[in-house]
Amino acid sequence: MTISQAGQTGRTGEVFDIGYRNYEGPREGRPRARRTVYKEGIRIALGIGRGGWAKIMPWAFIVAAAIPALVLALIAGTVDRLTGGLGDEVIDLPSHGDYYGIASIIFLIFAAAVGPELLCPDRRDRVINLYLVRPITGTDYILARWAAFLTIMTLVAWLPQFVLLAGLALGAENPATYIQDNWADIPRFLASGFTLALYVTGISLAVASFTTRRAYAAAFIIGIFVISLPFAEGLSSDIGGKVGQYLSLLNFSQIPLLMNDIIFNEENLATEDTLATQLPKLTQIAWYAFMTIGPFLLMWRRYWKITP
Amino acid sequence: MGAVTTLLAARNLQKVYGDVIALAGINFEVSEGVTGLLGANGAGKSTAIKLFLGLIKPTSGTAEVLGVDAASTVEIRARLGYMPEHDCLPGNVSAAEFLTHMAELSGLPPNYARSRAADTLRHVGLFEERYRAMGGYSTGMKQRVKLAQTLVHDPVLVLLDEPTAGLDPGGREEMLTLIKRTGDEFGISLMLSSHLMGDIERTCETIIVLDAGRVVEVGPVTSFTEETEAIAVEVDENREELITALKERGVEPLIDGSSIVIEGVIGDQYDLIRDALVAANAPLRRMAPRRHELTEIFERNGE
Repeated sequence: MTISQAGQTGRTGEVFDIGYRNYEGPREGRPRARRTVYKEGIRIALGIGRGGWAKIMPWAFIVAAAIPALVLALIAGTVDRLTGGLGDEVIDLPSHGDYYGIASIIFLIFAAAVGPELLCPDRRDRVINLYLVRPITGTDYILARWAAFLTIMTLVAWLPQFVLLAGLALGAENPATYIQDNWADIPRFLASGFTLALYVTGISLAVASFTTRRAYAAAFIIGIFVISLPFAEGLSSDIGGKVGQYLSLLNFSQIPLLMNDIIFNEENLATEDTLATQLPKLTQIAWYAFMTIGPFLLMWRRYWKITP
Repeated sequence: MGAVTTLLAARNLQKVYGDVIALAGINFEVSEGVTGLLGANGAGKSTAIKLFLGLIKPTSGTAEVLGVDAASTVEIRARLGYMPEHDCLPGNVSAAEFLTHMAELSGLPPNYARSRAADTLRHVGLFEERYRAMGGYSTGMKQRVKLAQTLVHDPVLVLLDEPTAGLDPGGREEMLTLIKRTGDEFGISLMLSSHLMGDIERTCETIIVLDAGRVVEVGPVTSFTEETEAIAVEVDENREELITALKERGVEPLIDGSSIVIEGVIGDQYDLIRDALVAANAPLRRMAPRRHELTEIFERNGE
């Protein structure tokens, strides 16, 4: 209503200071607090509610992780036409089992760049002190953040596999028959994607729990993966034998790929020359478990007794 | 929560860090209203607050909050607010979003949290600025957001740790007014930890004085600042002449800063002071019963 209209109708507005009102709505306590930390972790990881720059990095990585799958899917869709129906015989297209071998470096960099954002700023800005005086403990906080990043990493790992599946299915003569024949790949890539996510989430957040600077954490995590690759592979191939196989386990970027091979029951493109694949599967699984549970416990211990 | 009148209770509360006794088995209770926790640095104020928030466990004794042992549960913190002394705000988030998040962390569902955040920012005078990133706020505005995050979930009791630290005189005045308003108008009880007596005197009804981990005084602020039997006289000029005139009339004045203090004033002495003022030709600025000052608590206990 405009002022003139108000004058014509004789109605005028009044502003009242209603003063302070007590809150009488529901209070959901600790469960709500835990969900809030989890939800905020998801938002931070995707840059939601943050400025433009905070969104660019995670979404750029998500797109980058999906691009190889998209390219493979497009090739799969056109290969038969290009080869006159001899697609499978002419080109050996990478499968679901090969995908993480091709793109795992993107997931590792994503975890290094985005993971620390969930922990470092809270300690650097000391916002953590306001979290811990609310109805949550340090353990609640770190578990919720860990679960949030694991969720994101898992979804980011699964997304390109679904893109690849769609491409392979649509490229086949009969998509329904393709799915029927290859359905077992779905639980395999879901499991493999989850083991990759579990591994990189643990390492990323464990390193982030030791510094307030995101850049230091990111550099350290990338350093672990990049330096360990030539070091472990070079040393293991020089020494060879059983010792070489064990030294090969120190290639930290390969550890989730060993699980990938076990899940798909075949070697992928990235582990063809890795000596660790010759070790007993139980040893490989134990090493993966150690490298996943260890960082998790380290991270948890950092927040277990934290006080403002 | 029921009708809890004792909000905080320290019962033989002791906290020892290695060889250092931070709190030496103290006892006190805090009821509704605004209570000041006064003490020098290292007196044990922050340790006491951490114990009441359940962030650390006592060596012995209990810290009860709203009738519950603070060390036994974190759920009780949903009814408490805490404002730390240091900076604790993320610079890249708006005040509205931050407060909504803090309300949800205290257990409020998202819709209620958003509404409470806007209301609370209005009460602390930041409604117009609520969508700006807090990195661009002044120190005073940041302090107000810090206070707002303690109120957003409508707590029963708010613990403030040195709330005027780092503020200029204008900002300090605003913060003290806001604290007083929170206690008087919002009906929220507060415990204010400070080493500044002026802050405590200005805002609090009750005072607990800590010194080296021990409670040295507890009681209403007025009992420490009540009138004495002395009269304080302040004049604009001819101060020395007035002192001489008083002495000539058999009165032995004491000097206390800018005041001339005459102790044990009864009956005729008021006439003597009047006559001395006239004789000294000293323009009277102020003449009033002298009050005790909180500083005397420490002087008394230091003796």
